[in-house]
Amino acid sequence: MAPEQPPLPQVVSLSDEDLMARVAEDDERAFPELVRRFQSRVTNLISRVLNDRNGADDLAQEVFVRVFVHRRNYRRGSKFSTWLFTIAANLAKNEIRRRVRRRNWFSLDALTEVLQDSAPQLADPTENHEIGLEREQLREEVGKAIATVPEKYRLALVLRDIEGLPYEEIAEVLGIPGGTVRSRINRARGMLKRKLQPLLRKQESR
Amino acid sequence: MSHCTRAHDLFGAFWDDEITRAERDWLEGHFRDCASCRAEYDTYSRALGLVQELPRAEAAPDLAERALAEAKRRAPEPDRIFVRETPRWAPVAAAAAVLLAVLALAPYVARMPGSPLLAQRDAKVAAPRLVAATPNGTQPSVTPETAATSSATSGGSAVAENLFDHTEDIDFVLDPVQVRRGRAVAVSNLPEGVQGEQAVITF
Repeated sequence: MAPEQPPLPQVVSLSDEDLMARVAEDDERAFPELVRRFQSRVTNLISRVLNDRNGADDLAQEVFVRVFVHRRNYRRGSKFSTWLFTIAANLAKNEIRRRVRRRNWFSLDALTEVLQDSAPQLADPTENHEIGLEREQLREEVGKAIATVPEKYRLALVLRDIEGLPYEEIAEVLGIPGGTVRSRINRARGMLKRKLQPLLRKQESR
Repeated sequence: MSHCTRAHDLFGAFWDDEITRAERDWLEGHFRDCASCRAEYDTYSRALGLVQELPRAEAAPDLAERALAEAKRRAPEPDRIFVRETPRWAPVAAAAAVLLAVLALAPYVARMPGSPLLAQRDAKVAAPRLVAATPNGTQPSVTPETAATSSATSGGSAVAENLFDHTEDIDFVLDPVQVRRGRAVAVSNLPEGVQGEQAVITF
């Protein structure tokens, strides 16, 4: 780290890219601000892709650790969020594969552990208990449905429909052509619709 | 492509609001006529609505501090500037190549005129005995030292003057090669008593 650092009062007003450039120049004060800006998005992305709220914390930490360790590899001028989501998507992908390998190696019991939803932890405690339970159950089902979409479609779906990234940025993050992104998202949405259809019918009948 | 299939293909773009005006007009018109597609799109949009309504996971409050502490603990990664590093095996391979080259060239270096190795070898090797025919049938032995003088005096000697002059020697002689049991064997045509290196080159 640089021994002397000039005051950085305007850190909040810096763009993500300028902030990352400061991190790359070993300015430690820029890093917490960068984490503060993106920690929720990264945690949420990983949480939804893995369907595991607790595991998402550790992996989100790992994403920011990688950002710091590889800070000099960041290309100035490129969009910081794209670089960050690329790291997050790759780590999430690796984690899914690691869990699948573990699941295959051990037993099918682990499958329930893998698919264990974090919905109870996400529930709003101020909600009416009964409505809260129903909503909680619904979220659990939706989370499970997303988790059962194959990995390559799931990542594209979460980046688009939960994180709201534009198609072009998703293409960069996943390193695939824009047309492939669109077709993956369309397929993922179709799968999700079929998985949630019974749940939606049940809701209609109430 | 049927109208319903075409309508299904437009669901994604319609949901993302990335549809042209003409496509939108066509799809909305189709929805008015086709209850099945209308119901399908209703399910589609409600399913995606549920996904988007999922609560956002909040990050751990001390994430930045923990990440920074962990990052500092790890060794920094080197820059990815392309630097062609010398592979670890390169010095070993270079030494081996030099050794092989020395071994391969050693016999030729030793045969070069004026080579100390050649002089040393010639001193050790006994000069061959050459036999010259005489008119009376006896076979007096001739040494290299006496050969020149005897040929000069007798005139009819069969021994050439430059027999022991190696400056005109041919270094390589390609002999026919016989193949026995898959191995090439060269038959030496050198006269008895004359030493030479033999190498078999197969193609």
